[in-house]
Amino acid sequence: MFLESRELVYKHKIPVTKVEKYWKGIEEGKIYGTVCKGCGAKYSPPQADCSECYSSDMEWVEITGEGVVEAMMEQYTFPAGFEFLEKPYVVAVARFGDFKVVGWAREKVWVGDKVVAEVDKDATGVWKVYFKKV
Amino acid sequence: MRVGVIGVGCTKFGVLERTIQELAFEAVKEAVEDAGISKNDIDLSVVGTSNTRGYELMPAVPVNEYCGFLGKGPIRVEAACATGSAALYTAYSSIISGMADIAIAIGVEKMTEVTTPTSLAVGGRSGSYLWEFHQYGTTFPGYYAMHAAAHMAKYGTKPEQLSMVAVKNHKNAAKNPKAHFPKEITLEKAVSSAYVAYPLKLFDCCPISDGASAAILASEEKIKELGKEAVWIEGIGFSSDSANVAKRADYTGLKATVEASRMAYKMAKIEDPLKSFDLACLHDCFTIAEIMAYEDLGFCKKGEGGKFVEEGRSDFGGDIPCNTFGGLKAKGHPLGATGLAMIYEAVKQLREEAGDLQVELKNYKALTQNIGGTGHFGWVFVLGV
Repeated sequence: MFLESRELVYKHKIPVTKVEKYWKGIEEGKIYGTVCKGCGAKYSPPQADCSECYSSDMEWVEITGEGVVEAMMEQYTFPAGFEFLEKPYVVAVARFGDFKVVGWAREKVWVGDKVVAEVDKDATGVWKVYFKKV
Repeated sequence: MRVGVIGVGCTKFGVLERTIQELAFEAVKEAVEDAGISKNDIDLSVVGTSNTRGYELMPAVPVNEYCGFLGKGPIRVEAACATGSAALYTAYSSIISGMADIAIAIGVEKMTEVTTPTSLAVGGRSGSYLWEFHQYGTTFPGYYAMHAAAHMAKYGTKPEQLSMVAVKNHKNAAKNPKAHFPKEITLEKAVSSAYVAYPLKLFDCCPISDGASAAILASEEKIKELGKEAVWIEGIGFSSDSANVAKRADYTGLKATVEASRMAYKMAKIEDPLKSFDLACLHDCFTIAEIMAYEDLGFCKKGEGGKFVEEGRSDFGGDIPCNTFGGLKAKGHPLGATGLAMIYEAVKQLREEAGDLQVELKNYKALTQNIGGTGHFGWVFVLGV
C-alpha cells in the first residue's frame, strides 16, 4: 500500500552575478573562460575565483576556433526538464586549445571529429553551446 | 591499532515497499545478530544516505531512531554513489580516534519513490548543475556513455566486451537471492538491447533499486575482549575529481580510482594487486565502469580491460573473480547502500560463508572499489583475515 506525498516544487533562483560575463556573452554569440592573473590557471566553465592560488583577479578570454571532440554521448531516455525535446540529443566535450567546452551537437559526432562552437537558445530559453562538424 | 568488521547485514535489493527506516532496520538487525552483540553495545551510528530521491529529505534521525540508536549519533554522511564507503570510513575513524569502541555504518537508499525521468534528472544534478544539467541535460548514463565512447575510440573496446561484463554479473546474481535481478542474460540479448545513452544500452546500465546494508566495526582490543573473529580493514584509500566533465584531463579512466587504490595498496602493503586478492567488488554502475576499474586498479594495462573480461580473467576461475554477488549491474545500486554491500560481500567471502558463490581463498584478501558519480568520489578498501 502506498500514500502520495504532498507536492513540493523546487524552482531555484541561481545567483550568476560573479559569472555574469559568461551569461551575457553567450547571448551575444561569445563563449568565455577565465584565466587567473595570479597563477595562470585556466577555467572552463569560467570561475570568478581561483581554486589554485585563491586570487580573484581573473581575465575573461573568449574561446574560439576549431575544437576536437574528446567524448560524446547520445541521450535516448529524457530526464525531467527535457520533455520538450522530440528526439535523442547528442552531448559532446570538445577541446579548444587550453579549454574544454561541453555542448549539444547538431549532428552525431564521434571522438576525434573537428568542430566549431556556435551558441543558441533551446525551446525553454536556455542559452548553450552547439557544435557543428567542420 | 587495527579495526575489524564483526557484523554485516544487507537487504534484498529491488523495488521494495518499505520506508527508509524500515529498510535500514532489516540490514541493521542482520548485522547486530551477525556480530552476536547487543545493539546497546554500539557507541556510534553513522547513517550513509544521499536520499535525494526519497520523500524523507533528512532521514538520518528517523533511521537512527527506528534502529534503536537514540543518543548514539547519528552522523549523516553523503558521497553520492560512494556514500556507503564514506560512512564506513567515518565509523572506522571514530574507533581509531578512541571516541568509540564499537560503531555501526548504515547505508540506505530509497530510489524508487519517484519516476524514472525524475530519477535521471536528480542523478544528472550530481556533477555541476548550472554548467551541465541546466544547459545540456546530462545524465549519469550519459556521463558514463562519454567514457565508453572515449575508451572505444582510443582502445578499440567493443560493445560486445561491454555486454560481457553484464552477462558475467547477471550469471553471478542468478545465485544471489538478494539481487534485484537474480537471473542470467544472454550476450545476444545484452548486445541487442535498446540504447539508454549511446553507446550504452539498457543492459550496460544498473537498475534503479532500493536497499540497505550495514557493517559493525570494533577496535582490536574490543574484539579480543568479546572473543570475536573479525575481518580486518587493512587498507583505505580515497580521492576525488572535478565536478565538471569539461575539467577532466581524460575520459578513458577514473583518476580517483587510480589515486585511491595507490593509497590503499600502500597502507595494506599490496605490490601486485592481481596476485594479492581472492576477489574484488567493483563499481560497475555501467559496464564500462568495470572495464575501466580493471585498468585503473592495476589488474591489467590501460586499454586492455575489454580483453580482460573477454578472456574470463574476472570470472570465477579467472585471475580475480569480480562482482561475485552480481555487482551493481545485476544485484542493484541503492546509492547509500552500495559501498557497504561490497563490504558485506567481501566479509561473507573471506569468512567462507558465500555458499554457491564462494571463491577459492588463497590470500584471504579482498578489495572493494566504490565510486561516487564519474569519479567525483573514489574509495578503495582492502579487507583481510
